[in-house]
Amino acid sequence: MSETLLSVQDLTKRFRLRRSLGEFVTRKPGDSALAVDHVSFDLAKGEILGLAGGSGSGKTTLARMLIRLVEPDEGVITVDGRSVRDARGHELREIRRRMQMVFQDPYASLNPRMTVGTAILEAGRVHHQPGSEDGDAFVSKFLDLVRLPASMAVRHPSELSGGQRQRVAVARALAIGPEVLIADEAVSALDVSIQTQLLNLFLDLRDELGLAILFVAHQLSVIAEVADRVAIMHLGVIVEIGTTAEVFHNPQDEYTKSLLASHPQPVPLDASREIRIVE
Amino acid sequence: MSLLTIENLRIAFPARGGSTEVVRGVNLEVQQGETVGLVGESGSGKSLSCRSIIRLMPSHAQMTANVQFDGRDVMAMSRKALRDHRAHNVGMIFQDPFSCFNPTKRIGEQVAETLRVNAGMDKSAAHARAIELLASVEIDRPEQRYRAFPHELSGGMRQRVMIAIAISAGPRLLIADEPTTALDVTTQAQILKLIEQRRRDLNMAVLLVSHDFGVIAQACQRVAVMYGGYVVEAGPVAEICARPQHPYTRALLESIPSLESAGHHIRRAGIPGQPPAAGEMGAGCPFAGRCAFARPECASVDMSLEVVGDSHATACPFVRTVSATSEAGGA
Amino acid sequence: MSDVATRPVLKRRRIYRLWRSFRRAQNWELSTGLVIIAIMVWAALLAPYIAPYHPNQINIVESLQAPSWHHWMGTDFVGRDVFSRVLYGLRVDLLVVAVITYLGLIVGVTLGTISGYVGGWFDAVIGRVADTVIAFPFIVLVLAVVAIVGPGLKGVGIGIVVVGWALYFRLARSEMLVMREQPFIMATKALGYSHLRAIFRHALPNLIRTSLVYSTVDVVVNMLVIAGLSYLGLGQQAPGADLGSIIASGQSYLLSAWWITTIPGVVLMLFGIGVSLIGDGITRGDLTLGSL
Repeated sequence: MSETLLSVQDLTKRFRLRRSLGEFVTRKPGDSALAVDHVSFDLAKGEILGLAGGSGSGKTTLARMLIRLVEPDEGVITVDGRSVRDARGHELREIRRRMQMVFQDPYASLNPRMTVGTAILEAGRVHHQPGSEDGDAFVSKFLDLVRLPASMAVRHPSELSGGQRQRVAVARALAIGPEVLIADEAVSALDVSIQTQLLNLFLDLRDELGLAILFVAHQLSVIAEVADRVAIMHLGVIVEIGTTAEVFHNPQDEYTKSLLASHPQPVPLDASREIRIVE
Repeated sequence: MSLLTIENLRIAFPARGGSTEVVRGVNLEVQQGETVGLVGESGSGKSLSCRSIIRLMPSHAQMTANVQFDGRDVMAMSRKALRDHRAHNVGMIFQDPFSCFNPTKRIGEQVAETLRVNAGMDKSAAHARAIELLASVEIDRPEQRYRAFPHELSGGMRQRVMIAIAISAGPRLLIADEPTTALDVTTQAQILKLIEQRRRDLNMAVLLVSHDFGVIAQACQRVAVMYGGYVVEAGPVAEICARPQHPYTRALLESIPSLESAGHHIRRAGIPGQPPAAGEMGAGCPFAGRCAFARPECASVDMSLEVVGDSHATACPFVRTVSATSEAGGA
Repeated sequence: MSDVATRPVLKRRRIYRLWRSFRRAQNWELSTGLVIIAIMVWAALLAPYIAPYHPNQINIVESLQAPSWHHWMGTDFVGRDVFSRVLYGLRVDLLVVAVITYLGLIVGVTLGTISGYVGGWFDAVIGRVADTVIAFPFIVLVLAVVAIVGPGLKGVGIGIVVVGWALYFRLARSEMLVMREQPFIMATKALGYSHLRAIFRHALPNLIRTSLVYSTVDVVVNMLVIAGLSYLGLGQQAPGADLGSIIASGQSYLLSAWWITTIPGVVLMLFGIGVSLIGDGITRGDLTLGSL
């Protein structure tokens, strides 16, 4: 379980700030700010790494650079030793097969016109996954993995709840056979009781499939529930990284401390309470 | 006398073959100067319920209720009285601060407009007072920020401006509908603190609606828990958090992620299934399908609240949570 | 894994879904519109079998007769049965208008979606061409093409396609610019799908609805253009029948033999109403047939 799967070094992304008309005319290069500033970390097989930070911290940009939805400006990304940035065409597709992403908005991440089964099968077929010739069996297998009934395959996304759609999105990603799953705020838009279901699903998938998961979230409590290690990002930089227990119980960085301090206090449950049934 | 009493609030929407009830008999009370939370997941009806206080409904909604504000019947108010009620008695802030502003007008002017229309101030008085209000919600350099457009401000700042507008008339009640959901954790804490400060200074009551129990626990004294269009439990926050009486509240509290879990690898149970959609609700308790204690009688429960402690009431007649160490157990 | 799968897991038959949603949709606009157009289409298709007379059969003796049992829509100035002429005219008109409108749609939407997706010089070049075409008054350009190709339906058809694609291009392109940012399109990139697949299998089906709704308006406009140009003598040439030329032929007899011009005009109007109702019905979006 300690074999490094994904390695990131000095990853950087700049964005250009708007130039004023004067600057434009005189051809001065505009100021740029660093969305992601020379970030480095590793992800091991079967590990869940949390990536926490507020809005503007750069965590989403970082996640998207890993699969090149956004092109990095500098830095190295390797999956199993192979460079992601240099990959082209067939190689790039292979990289994408190995790293999949689940997006935040369950209402917009599935094609509204495709049935669940068609979407999952397409994913398998495009990547020539074994078993994808037999449509029904293939789809059923992945629906089962995400704990959805096989009858869901004929439904359209509009007939499903937010939690169900996210499961479908996960199933679609899994149908490609990845080794790394990037969850980009995948549970943030869900109700609390459904969130927990999805978190448990991620834990199960890690246990059953040996998936490595990069879990991007802004809520520290959610990360505390699933992640083995956590990286805290602020203004494009990882300010602290370590095991979840260490970082949350013994934070070293000032920003981490302030983040933990402003988190709503956990609700105090009476430890001695017991349930009685009334007749 | 309570500041606000809502009795038997029902809200229905026309649907194929009749109408669907989305809020099915909600009762709520808010006293002067207290902070009450309304917590529930999607489909619980909490947003619609809080809007009934100022009758801010979609036009096709069918609402029946007995809503008393400061002794006056809100449902019977004339148009003019209602406008007056909305302008002076109740302030409201919403979840998405961006879409609530006119993107083409400077925010200072939007604050001043409220003052001119509702408080009858003239232009220069409104301008001055607007700057004062912006300062009171801790916006730095209010004279410059006055001239800013909504898109130039951060989410937290826009929320502050919304609060400024809402409290400008010195309302008796502030309704905050998911005010921190779209915000960062740090900003969230600041906004909640700001609301609390303004509440104390103006002696306002606050009705805080949220799906986040942590926010409610931090900011409110009492809370009502909603599920499937009903209030399933209501009472003091500390008491409900320590000894939740309704199985839904209990299951909800147990499924909330917590920082304390860091490094422990204990799975939380979560609640199987999902919250009911508007059209799906049948008779009896809407939570029965997901409840660990469900029994056949649940289908004929009438969901009225039964008092089980000091101003603590629950809609579940079957399950009680008691402290092993206390005398005062359940019924 | 034992599920009630008596139907294949993946697809319910498209026709079945269409029929079910049609039955279920209390969408009177769509139903009425479809009925009107269906009647016209069937009438036109079956023209050779149901037309009581040959459309060009001249019978001076029976000329300028009012509508009667023998001649449902009367006869024109050389005794030709107007009803038969209308049927054959519809045949020509419907076919031509359908082909040219949807040819324009296919060309325009394809170029527009690709253009919106890839941007760059492709978008810049084709976009400018489309802008130029749109900037010209529609009729002027069509007339110019007809002048080059020569009068007749061929010229009119080519002219309308050459001009008509540009609006579909714009519609599809602007929808694509928005759709490009949708998570499910970004997801296709993350899933490693080719651009072709992303554009045609995912984006296109979701943005075609606006173009289809617009096409219902376009069909009516094109029908009027064809009829109008035939009326002017530039479209369907004699002795072939089409609604415009029939209307033109009855012009001099407007006060005496009103039926020659008026009844085909009413038919044209009904066509417009039927198509507009279909457009309204689609806009309502009750259909689940992949929403057309």
